[in-house]
Order: sequence, then structure tokens, then C-alpha cells
Amino acid sequence: MLEIKNLNASINNKEILKGLNISIKPGELHAIMGPNGSGKSTLANVLSGKEGYKISGELKYQGKSLKEISIDERAQKGIFLAFQYPTEIPGVNTSNFLRTSLNKIRKAQGKKELDALSFLKIIKEKSNELGMDEKMLLRQLNVGFSGGEKKKNEILQMKILDPSLIILDETDSGLDIDALRIVADGVNSSRNKQKSFLVITHYQRLLNFIKPDYVHVLADGKIVKSGTKELAIELEKTGYKGIN
Amino acid sequence: MLNFKIHSNEIDKIGNFTKEEKDFRLKNLKYFNDTGFPNKKNEDWKFSDLKEIVSKNFNKLDIKSLKSEKPKIDFINDFEHNYIVITNGELTLSNFKYEEKSKVKLKSFINDNYSGKKENNPLVNLNHALSDKGYFLEVKENYKFKKILVIYYLFTEDLNENILNSKNKIVIGKNSEIHLLDYLINVSKKNFFNNVYEDVILGSSARLKNIYLQKDKSSGYFHKYSKNRLSAGANFSSFIFPTGLKFNKLDLEFNLEGENCECNLQSASFLSQQEHQEIKTRINHFYPNCKSYQKVKNVLNEDSKGVYQGKIFVKDEAQKTDAYQLSKAILLGERSEFDSKPELEIYADDVKCSHGSTSGSLDKDSIYYLMTRGLTKIESTKLLVNGFLNEVIDSIKSDSIRNFIKTKLEEQLLNEYKKH
Ligand SMILES: Nc1ncnc2c1ncn2[C@@H]1O[C@H](COP(=O)(O)OP(=O)(O)OP(=O)(O)O)[C@@H](O)[C@H]1O
Ligand SMILES: [Mg+2]
Repeated sequence: MLEIKNLNASINNKEILKGLNISIKPGELHAIMGPNGSGKSTLANVLSGKEGYKISGELKYQGKSLKEISIDERAQKGIFLAFQYPTEIPGVNTSNFLRTSLNKIRKAQGKKELDALSFLKIIKEKSNELGMDEKMLLRQLNVGFSGGEKKKNEILQMKILDPSLIILDETDSGLDIDALRIVADGVNSSRNKQKSFLVITHYQRLLNFIKPDYVHVLADGKIVKSGTKELAIELEKTGYKGIN
Repeated sequence: MLNFKIHSNEIDKIGNFTKEEKDFRLKNLKYFNDTGFPNKKNEDWKFSDLKEIVSKNFNKLDIKSLKSEKPKIDFINDFEHNYIVITNGELTLSNFKYEEKSKVKLKSFINDNYSGKKENNPLVNLNHALSDKGYFLEVKENYKFKKILVIYYLFTEDLNENILNSKNKIVIGKNSEIHLLDYLINVSKKNFFNNVYEDVILGSSARLKNIYLQKDKSSGYFHKYSKNRLSAGANFSSFIFPTGLKFNKLDLEFNLEGENCECNLQSASFLSQQEHQEIKTRINHFYPNCKSYQKVKNVLNEDSKGVYQGKIFVKDEAQKTDAYQLSKAILLGERSEFDSKPELEIYADDVKCSHGSTSGSLDKDSIYYLMTRGLTKIESTKLLVNGFLNEVIDSIKSDSIRNFIKTKLEEQLLNEYKKH
């Protein structure tokens, strides 16, 4: 699904990723943990195609290089990034936006666009699953949403857009215990043999709900240690200083 | 055409006037001829050098009035409405089928006030000197209009480097209410100048809601000076959606002449090519407990230019004034420009006044976010621009009218994006 080899990324002359390797097969869920500022969000941004980075190394998605593929095309090909800090977009109605986005992606994938009614059905069902107030979907996109509501809205988009590679950047931060469980359920029910996940988190707690196949530690721009979920438990005890 | 001067015998060509009126016209003609079209050295015109704009775009300006035929109009079918048709400034048709006839008065109008001190706006002087058409609309006391009144302002094909000077007067009686849609339909292909002077008077507790919209792009150069007087408890709201004039300056003065008045002005414009638009306001808080609210939004594409000059004046006795002013601009074109000059002149101490102005390009993070959801850069831009402007449109309460306006503006925007 995803093959990253010797990835280097810098921005404004600051090197952030320094030779990162990671390989994710279809159906796998990888967790990435790491100190603040180690480059986790940068990795997520680079995968999404965000502009402004100087990049070298190999970046392959579904067997093909992602070089030269724009942000929107990556989304259309099934890469989804749930933002650490979802952007507030005034004047854009959440539900209309979701429909535009979904139809855009469906069309690119050769599927039929959904009419307003079928869309409404889907969005109703998915937002209920996440315990979201439907009224929120009539509001402007993320504007004035609480931290937790924003995160839920990201997961709602993930569920609706049905992507193949899902990157969750600290989706668990800022969620209360119940919301965390709901979001984890949302992720778990989406897991299948075709989908891959890259879950960035600071908390081992999340990994009790979402069982990772692998856990990696990202420090100073590279993966310094990889293991299974026991690694996360160990980290909880020793902290990042204790490894290496 | 740098020196546009008008001979006094032009006034005789307009009609026979009483001595009082003729003196008024001659006096104003002299004021105008002394300065000509204002240039940027005039503080009120510093962002809109009209002299230069006129010289660049006109070879001549014909002041003789046109006798137009009965106009053919595409009436709006989206909602029921009363209507007035104004053809090149002249009242030509009207229909008040939804209203009690005795409560409405409408007639052709030229002027009824020949006194007054010297106006500092040369375009007002010019209008005072040469105005030869217009309408007078009055809503009698204690009457609430049942349907909106659409004023179709039609500009005909035979306009060609003309300058039209018209005067309108609208009086809304005590406790009465009317909603107006100023709808401009312009089929002229040639440049022309439209110079309007408007007097609006709201009796106590009267309500006026006004929407200003253009059907499509045109080669009009417009200037409107509008003086609005509000008595105690009166409420005025104006929604301005100007699109597609080559030049447009709206110079709006609001005088809050009694307690508990409210004046609300919102505008959303999308300008492109070399379009130039200025909204200039002056809100005079003369009495306590009044509220004024202004929000001006501009999206500037290509080489267009937007200007907002907003002045709030609060007299010493106008305590508990609540005045708000905000302008926001999005610059899409590298050569587009937005100038704003807020001005507060406050002599009362117990007031709430705030103003703010922002301008810049579209938020990069927003575009990035939308693109990660599969939208192209252009689609993301479109969504953000619509969202930015829709905020104003969405505050129109009537569904059918709001949808009509939304559709019209979206059509216009779509045509813009198609060009790219
Ligand atoms: N545009 C930029 N210009 C300069 N430095 C940047 C830029 N973006 C990120 N950085 C720096 O790169 C480093 C990595 O940032 P990144 O956001 O990837 O960290 P992170 O691992 O996600 O941290 P956190 O756990 O706090 O979310 C930080 O030191 C950050 O300040
Ligand atoms: Mg981060």
C-alpha cells in the first residue's frame, strides 16, 4: 500500500525528515509515536501532497510513485489525512462540502455521483454512529466546533469518503473518554483487508482501543525503533529518553 | 476628454424653470465647471480618480436626454412583486397590484428643493445643475407593503457616451414598511455615465429594506449619492451586491435624526478585469441609543480595485451609540487592489464603536484542507469565494428572494471562472 524509503523533507531550510523508512501493507495498521517536533505531522503532510517541502527519497503508494501527484489527486486516489488541527472554513456549509467532496472522489474513481437524498441518508447514518448532532452539519465547516467536534468531523469524512490509506494525526488528542471510544469504534469498524492506517498518537491509551500491527518511534526525523504494541507500553514507562 | 465644461444654455434646453430653480441650477453648474470631474487630490476621491477614469474611457459625454421607446423587460418570475420601471432614469411603468392604491404615491420627479448649502461633491453639483428626470415614491403612514417592490432600472441600447442625471426621492411614512429591490438591467454596449442623486426619508418607526443588484455585466460608469434620513425608531437595512459595472461609486450618507434608529448596511462584491468600485459611507449619529452596522466584503480578481471609505460620526449627545464597521477583502489578482479608510469622529463618551479591516489573498491552509478532500485548486477557490460572499447573502430573510440573488450571483461568478 505504502512504501517510504529514505525520505528526506525540509522546509524553509530546516531539515525535518532525515531518511525515514516505513512500509505498510494492505490491511495493516501502524502507529507512530514520537516526541513533539520530531516530524510526525510533517510526514502526514508530505504524504497528503502539501506544497512547500523539499523532498527526496522514494514515496510509493499502491506501487506507484507519488511524485508529481497533486493534493487533490492523492485524495481522489484514496489517501485521506485527518488533520491534527482541522482548518475552520467560514461560509462553507459542512454538509454541502461533504457532498461536493464525496462526489468529486466518486467521480474520479469512476463511480456514480450521489444525489442529495442518497447522500443525506449516508451522512445521517454515519453521523449518528459517531454520536454527532446532525445540526452541526448545517453549520459552517469546523467554524466554532469544539476541539472534539472537529476531530469527530474528520472521522466522519473518513467514513464517508471511504479511502484506502488513512493517516490520523493525533485524532485522539482532545477527545473525552466517551468520544475516544466512539472514534476508536469508527476506526475499527472501517478496518478491513484493503485499507491501511497510519495512526499518529502520543498516547498508548488509544492503542488499547485500536490494536496496531506495528508501532514505530519517530525521533529527529527518522524511525528509531519499531515493534509491536508492547513497544507502546514500554514507552509509556520509560519515555522517549529510555529508548535507543 | 480632459476638460468637460458645460455651457449654461444647456440648462434652458432641459426646460423652462422658475427663477429660483434656474438660479439653483446655474449656481451648481458653476460649482461643477470650477472643478470639473474630481481627481485624486480631492480627499473624498483620493482612491477613485474620476477625472482620469473619465478621460481614459470617454471621448465625449452627451448631456441631451434620450427619448426612449416603451421598454421590453424580462420581469422576474421567481417571486410575486410590485414593480416600477425606470428607463434611463425616467419613470416609464409601474404596477402596485398587491397593494392598497391609496397608500402609495408615485410620480415623475425632478426636484423640489432649490436651497441648501453648497455640496462638496462635484457630481452632486452636476446633478443639481442638470437633472431632468427621476421619480418620487411615497408610502403613506401606517402601511406595510404586502409584497416587495422591484425597481427595474433599465439602460437601453441607444446609450452611447451619454451622461444621465436623475433624482429620486423616497418617503416612507410613520410606522410603514417597504422592501425594495433595485434591479439594474443594462443592455447598452457602449460606455455611458449614470449620475444619481437620491433622497430617502424614513418617518418615525418606519422600516426600509433595500437590496441592490445587477442582472449582468455592463459598460456603465455609475455614481450615486444617497442621503438617508431616519426619524426616531426607524430601521434601514441595505444589501448591496454590485457586480460588473466598469466604475461604481456609492456615496451614502445616513443621518440618524431620532432615538432608537438602526441602520444596517452589508455589501458583497466580486470585481474583475479593470472594474473599480467604491463604497463610501458617512453615518451621523445625532441622537442617543442608535445602532449602525456596516459590513463590506470584496473579492478582487485580475486588475480590479475596491475601495471602502467609512466614516462614523457621533455627536456629543448621542450617548449609548452602538456603531460597528468591518471591511474584508480577498485579493485574487496579483494586480488587484483594495483601499480602505475607516474614520471615527466621536464626541460622546458612553459609546460602543468598533471597526476593522482586513485584506489579503485566500487562506492557503483552507485551500490545502479542501484539496485534501479531493477538490481542485480552482474548485477550492470557488468554494471559499462563494462562502466569503454568501455570508452576506445568507442574512437576507426571505427564501425566494435570497435564492434569486444567490442564483444570479452564482451565474455571474461562474462566468468569471469560465474565463480562466
Ligand atoms: N513551515 C515550517 N517552517 C519551519 N519549521 C517548521 C515548519 N513546519 C514545521 N516545522 C518544524 O519542524 C519540526 C517538526 O514539526 P511537526 O509538526 O512535524 O512535529 P510533530 O512531530 O507533529 O510534533 P507534535 O507532536 O507537537 O505535533 C518542528 O520543529 C517544527 O517547528
Ligand atoms: Mg503534529
